[in-house]
Amino acid sequence: MTNAFAAAIAVLGGAACAIGESRIVSHALDGMARNPEMYSKLRSSMILGCALDETTGIYALLMAILCLFVG
Amino acid sequence: MIKFSFYSSAFEDAISHMLDFDIPGEIYSSLIVMLFIIILSFVIYFKFKHADPLETRPHGFILVISSAVKLVRNFTIDLMGKKWEPFAGYVMALFIYIFIAFTFSLTGLPSPASYLAVPLSLGLCTFVLIHVTAMRANKGKYFLRFTDPLPPYIPAFVPINLLSMWSPLLSLTLRLFGNALSGYVLMSIIYAFLAQASGFVFSFIPSGANQLFFAPFVTPVLHLYFDLFSGVIQTLVFVMLTMIFVSQEDPDTEEEEMLTLKKVNN
Repeated sequence: MTNAFAAAIAVLGGAACAIGESRIVSHALDGMARNPEMYSKLRSSMILGCALDETTGIYALLMAILCLFVG
Repeated sequence: MIKFSFYSSAFEDAISHMLDFDIPGEIYSSLIVMLFIIILSFVIYFKFKHADPLETRPHGFILVISSAVKLVRNFTIDLMGKKWEPFAGYVMALFIYIFIAFTFSLTGLPSPASYLAVPLSLGLCTFVLIHVTAMRANKGKYFLRFTDPLPPYIPAFVPINLLSMWSPLLSLTLRLFGNALSGYVLMSIIYAFLAQASGFVFSFIPSGANQLFFAPFVTPVLHLYFDLFSGVIQTLVFVMLTMIFVSQEDPDTEEEEMLTLKKVNN
């Protein structure tokens, strides 16, 4: 039972990851709206940034899985 | 019958238990991936050996392979500078291995990337490359990095630097492993849920056969995201981070980039 609570708390880190990702996308969209010629370059860097940012969420998920199945 | 009496029983035990190691399935998957890549490289080698070099417009297989090689080479030069062009071979190998290993779960066999030893060894390769590059570039000054913000006779920051030395290895390993494992866990939860739901709806069909009706219509899209999209992105991220980590250890590269930037600005 405590394992499940620990996993639930650990996976809350995903919230921070989501906020960061939303900031990345909103700023990339700002840039695209200001300068539509840069659309393709900005999109590829945006996806890369999202993937890097998603890592923190993945860490949270990994910790949650460890709490559930290992701890 | 000849009896080898000089073998100790522990040695005999070791020999007899040598073949029944408990090797997990992911390692077999990794071996299959490697076999596939070896066969692919031999096919590419013989195709190119027998290709006509005077043909002005290559087509088909040869066109795909040569444009991929050109793409990776340009990518390496863009990110690391002209000096690092030979590094493109390692980059290509990483690209091929990680991408095939990540998307190997589409075949139904377990993906090698979801077994910690495989991403860890890939991360260790990058880690060793980082430190060997730093040693070759900085010679004796390499050891100054351990006392970094302070002069070398005040070893106050050594413990912190010794710990932070491992962070690239940890982040590269866990990024790949976590993505593969989370995709695997989420997909297996969804499969279990769909089997239950299908068994509940089609309960008039005898059990076992009634669990198969929902999954084929729902999971392909999810496989597209968790295996293919995630695989492409994570391969790109791993390779780019390797290249950036390795090239930033060499002070010459940065100077070269600064020079080209100055030229562009002028």
